[in-house]
Amino acid sequence: MNMLPGPAQAAAIGLSAALPLLLLCYARIAATGGSGRRFRLGSVSILALYAIACLALPGERHFDDVLGGLFLLATAMMFCYILFSLLAWGFTLTLLTALVKAERPLNLEQWAVAYMQGGDLGSFTHNRLKLLVGAGMVIVADGKLAPTAKGVAIARLVKLVRLSTGLG
Amino acid sequence: MSFVVGFLAAITFALLSPALQLMARTRGWPVGAVTLLAIAAALTHGLGVTLGILVVPQFQYWDAASIFGFCVMGYVFAFGAVYKSVSLEILLSVVDRPERRAPLSDIVERQVPDLFQGRIRNLVDGGLVEPVNSRFVATPAGRKMAGRVGRLRRAFGIGDTSLYDFSE
Repeated sequence: MNMLPGPAQAAAIGLSAALPLLLLCYARIAATGGSGRRFRLGSVSILALYAIACLALPGERHFDDVLGGLFLLATAMMFCYILFSLLAWGFTLTLLTALVKAERPLNLEQWAVAYMQGGDLGSFTHNRLKLLVGAGMVIVADGKLAPTAKGVAIARLVKLVRLSTGLG
Repeated sequence: MSFVVGFLAAITFALLSPALQLMARTRGWPVGAVTLLAIAAALTHGLGVTLGILVVPQFQYWDAASIFGFCVMGYVFAFGAVYKSVSLEILLSVVDRPERRAPLSDIVERQVPDLFQGRIRNLVDGGLVEPVNSRFVATPAGRKMAGRVGRLRRAFGIGDTSLYDFSE
């Protein structure tokens, strides 16, 4: 068994470790925008650096080495995105941080207000609905919510993924 | 050939993981869904490496590990997307109604508060929050986790609302 990565794979492993550090650096630069945009920028930067490394590294490039490196980079990006999105858009995690930030025991209504930083659960619902409407999955008409054909297709896909991953 | 071994290990993961999730639910194992994913990944990675050593004369570990990591992370990504997404819960509840329509008020006044209470139960079950009379307070473990999350959010320049920013 050969445990040594090829040159491109070694570059990909190094760049995978550098992605969180790059995101930390981008967080200090206001021009990089919000969290989602910053993550996209970080991923594109890492891919560009990988392309440069593949061109600049001495020796002949082998297809399996470059392909393996791409798989490793994509793995690192997905892993970082899962953690990043949990921090940025995690509902349960934010409920916990809101409760701790309040520094006193809260009942359900007070907790909802603390979570929404003065708003209510209606504002939260509209934020989530905006995502569904913006993605063309539902339409709102006459105070009622209805799925589009795309929404129905996505819902079927979600059920299939839940079933095949054992979530029921 | 090493890529094929990694891919076979990933397929084994995709079969073992839902089986573990179903067994955990039916037998009431006190193990979280994410822990089960990690157990399935470690087991199938070990199996893949063993298979590679036995059947491939020049087994390239990183070729196999790269495609295995990519496929497993893709699986975890899909799992995470459908696991506890508020937006998808709303979409599914609308699609599952016989008339495929839901009053907006019903989502705001009933479904989202139910989701809110469900997440609070998760926090209580996880020992991060405890009910005190009719109020809730973070446990020392909850305060510790909230502190860590807050530090990470500050370091990565992530806001603490968990709301989607549509201006990006």
